Amino acid sequence: MADKFDAIVIGSGVSGGWAAKELTEKGLKVLMLDRGVMVEHGEGYDFDGKPAFEIPSRDIMPKSLVDSDYFIAKHGYVSPGNRKFYNNDRLNPYAYGEGEKFYWIRPGAVGGKSLIWGRWSFRWSPEDFEANKREQVGIDWPIRYEDLAPWYDYVEKYIGVSGSRENLPQLPDSAFQPPMQMNIAEKWVKGRLEATTPGRKLINTRLSNMTEDKEAQGRSKCQFRNQCGRGCSFGAYFSTQAVTLPAARATGRLTLRSDAVVSNLEYDPKTKKVTGVRVVDAKTKQAEVIPARLVFLCASAMASTQILMNSRIPGSSKSHFDTSGTLGRYVMDHIFRVGISGEIPGMTDYIEYGRRPGGVYIPRFRNVGGEEGIGFRRGYGYQGSARRDPAQPVGFGASMKQGMRKYGGWKFGMGAFGECLPYEDNRVSLHADKVDRFGIPLMRFDVTFRENELRMMRDARTEGEKMLRAAGLLNVTSDEGEHVPGDAIHEMGGARMAADPRQSVLNKWSQAHDAANLFVTDGAQMASISCVNPSLTFMALTARAADYAVKQMKAGAI
Amino acid sequence: MIIDRRDALAGMVAMFGAGLYAPIARAAKAQATGISDGPPSTPVFSAQQRAAVTALSERVMPTTDTPGAIAAGVPAFIEKLLADWAAPEDRKPILAGLDAIEARSQQDYKVATDKATPAQQDALLTLAMEDKLPGGEDFFDKFRQLVITGYFTSEIGITQEREYLPVPGRYDGAYPYSQVNKVFSS
Repeated sequence: MADKFDAIVIGSGVSGGWAAKELTEKGLKVLMLDRGVMVEHGEGYDFDGKPAFEIPSRDIMPKSLVDSDYFIAKHGYVSPGNRKFYNNDRLNPYAYGEGEKFYWIRPGAVGGKSLIWGRWSFRWSPEDFEANKREQVGIDWPIRYEDLAPWYDYVEKYIGVSGSRENLPQLPDSAFQPPMQMNIAEKWVKGRLEATTPGRKLINTRLSNMTEDKEAQGRSKCQFRNQCGRGCSFGAYFSTQAVTLPAARATGRLTLRSDAVVSNLEYDPKTKKVTGVRVVDAKTKQAEVIPARLVFLCASAMASTQILMNSRIPGSSKSHFDTSGTLGRYVMDHIFRVGISGEIPGMTDYIEYGRRPGGVYIPRFRNVGGEEGIGFRRGYGYQGSARRDPAQPVGFGASMKQGMRKYGGWKFGMGAFGECLPYEDNRVSLHADKVDRFGIPLMRFDVTFRENELRMMRDARTEGEKMLRAAGLLNVTSDEGEHVPGDAIHEMGGARMAADPRQSVLNKWSQAHDAANLFVTDGAQMASISCVNPSLTFMALTARAADYAVKQMKAGAI
Repeated sequence: MIIDRRDALAGMVAMFGAGLYAPIARAAKAQATGISDGPPSTPVFSAQQRAAVTALSERVMPTTDTPGAIAAGVPAFIEKLLADWAAPEDRKPILAGLDAIEARSQQDYKVATDKATPAQQDALLTLAMEDKLPGGEDFFDKFRQLVITGYFTSEIGITQEREYLPVPGRYDGAYPYSQVNKVFSS
C-alpha cells in the first residue's frame, strides 16, 4: 500500500477522536485505528432508552459471565446493557498475577472510554503543573497552565461543559454552559458545610453533559435519563461518536478501521522516524504494516505504553523509544474507595424529578493556599450527591408493596479522589514469555500506592466525617475499601513528558524525543496526575499537539 | 475470500449441537460469551416446587390496586435466573427452603404449599422469615430479593407499580412528592 494516509491515529477514545478531528480539519488524510468493535452513534447503542425488561437478564450481569469474561471489567461498571463497550477479560488478558494487583479496566469498542467515562470535566490548576518542581518530586512539567489554558477554552467550547463559575485558584473555571442544578438537599448541605467549615466549598459538578443544545453538531442537551453508559442518542455528553467522529468524517479525509489491533510501531533509526504501524486484524489475525508519515498514539495510557515497549530494537528487548530508560515508569492512578455518607434531616415533601448525571463536588482544600505540614503532599477532592432511594420496608405482602411506593429520607454520600505521586518503580513491563492471541506480549503491572497516598485517604476519611457532622448530617459513617491501582480508571503515566530527553519519553508537545513524527497524547504522557478527573486535559493536550504537529509538517520538519 | 474462522465454527456448533467434540466447542467460545435468553436451559424446579414458587411469590408481592408477582411474570423470571444467570450454588437455599416449607405445609395443613390458603401461605412465609423452619431466614431473604428484583424489572413493575419516566427532559431537585405519590422508574 502506498503512502495513502498523511497520519495514523491509534485509538479512537477521548484523545484519538480529538486527534482525528483536528488533523483532518487541518487538511490531513487520516487513518484512525481501534482494536474494538464498530459502534455507530445512535444505531450502535443497542439498549439506549430501553427499560430493564428489554435488556438481557434484566440488565443484571449474570455471575457466571462476570466470572468467565468480565472479571476485571466488573470493577468498571459493566452491565448487559453496555458490555459491548467493554473489554472481554478472558480474550484479552494481562499479567498482574505475577506483579502487583492492578485493575486494567479497558474498553472494547470504537470510541474507547469516551463511551463509558464518568464525564466529570475539570481544568488543572497552575499549582498542578508546578508542584513537581516545587516539591522536587518526579520531574518538572515542561508546560504550565498558561500553555494549556487556550486549548482548554477551545475544547470546552466545542464539547460543551456544564458547571458554575467559582473563581477558585485550585480549580480554574471552564468556558461553561449553565450548571445542572443542585437539589434541595444539596443546597442545604452546601449552606451548612460552607458555614461550619470555612474555606471549604461544595459546588456544582462540572460535567460534559450539556445543558444547552449544540444545533450545529446535531446534539441535544441532557434529557436527565442518567443512562449515559449505554450510549446517548441525543449526543448530550462528549463521546467520540457524538462529537469528534462526525467532525472528522465531515472533512471527507477520515478512514476508520475497527477490529484493528496495533502490535508495534516500525522505526528507522537512521532518520529517527516511525515508518509504519503494524496492525493485526482482530477477525482474521492477518498482520500488515501500514506506512505512516505522522503517528498519533492515543491507545490509552497503558496500551500506548505497551505499544511503545513492544516496538523493539531488533535483537534486543529495548524499545526504540526508550533512550531515556523511563518508558513504562511513573505509572499512577487516582486513589479512591474512601466514602462518607450521612442522613439529611427534613425536606421529605420533596423528591427529584429527572435523573441527573453527576452531582456535587468539594474541590481540593489540602496543601493549597499556603497550607503545609499536614503529613502528606498534594490533595484530594470529593464527588458526591444527595438523593432519596425508594423506601425499604421489611416483611412481605400488601403492606410492603404499599410501603415501597414511598421514598426514604435524603441521604448524602461522597467519595474522595486523591492524587498519587509519580514513583520511578511504579512500572509496567512486557511479560517475558506470555503473549496474547495476537502474539503481543502481555502487560505486567508492578504498581502500588505508597504511604503518601494512604495517609491522604485517611485524612480524606477523617475530614469528610468531620465536615458532614459539623454541617448537621445525622448518622455519619465512612468506609474504606481496598485501594487497587487502576480501580479509579484514571491510570496515567508510562511515557512522561519533560524537557530533558535523558529523563523522559516525550517533549512538551507530546512528541517523542526519539521520533519527531510520533506524538503520544493520551494519559501516558502525564508527569503527575492532579486530583481531578483527567479526560478534559487529554483533550486539550491532544488539540495542542495536533496543531503543533501540522505546523511542523507544513514547515518540513516532520 | 477468507472464511471467518469463528463463523465457520459457529456453523459447526449448530450442526452438531450438544455432541460437539470438546476442543471444537472451546475454540468456538473464543468470542464473547452470550447471555442466555428464552426459557430456562434446564428446569430448576419440580412441578411442585414451581407451583410453590408461583404461589409464594404472589404472597410476597400480591395483586392490589396494581397487578402482583404472577401477572408480572416473576415465577418464570426466578426459574430463568436460577437456571442461567445465577451461580449453581445460588439454587440451593431456594430449593432447600421450598422443601422445608412444603414439609411444614403438609404437616400443618395436609396440603401442598400451593394448595394452602393465602392465610396459610402467609403463615408459612412468616415461619421462614422468623427462621422457624430449617434454613428459613436464608430462604426468605433470598426469595424475597428475587421476587422484588423480578417484579421491579418487569414491565408491570416499571410501568404500572411505578411512575415510568423514560425521558424526563428536565431536572427539578425540589419536586413535590404529593404530585406523584409513587416512585419513579426508568
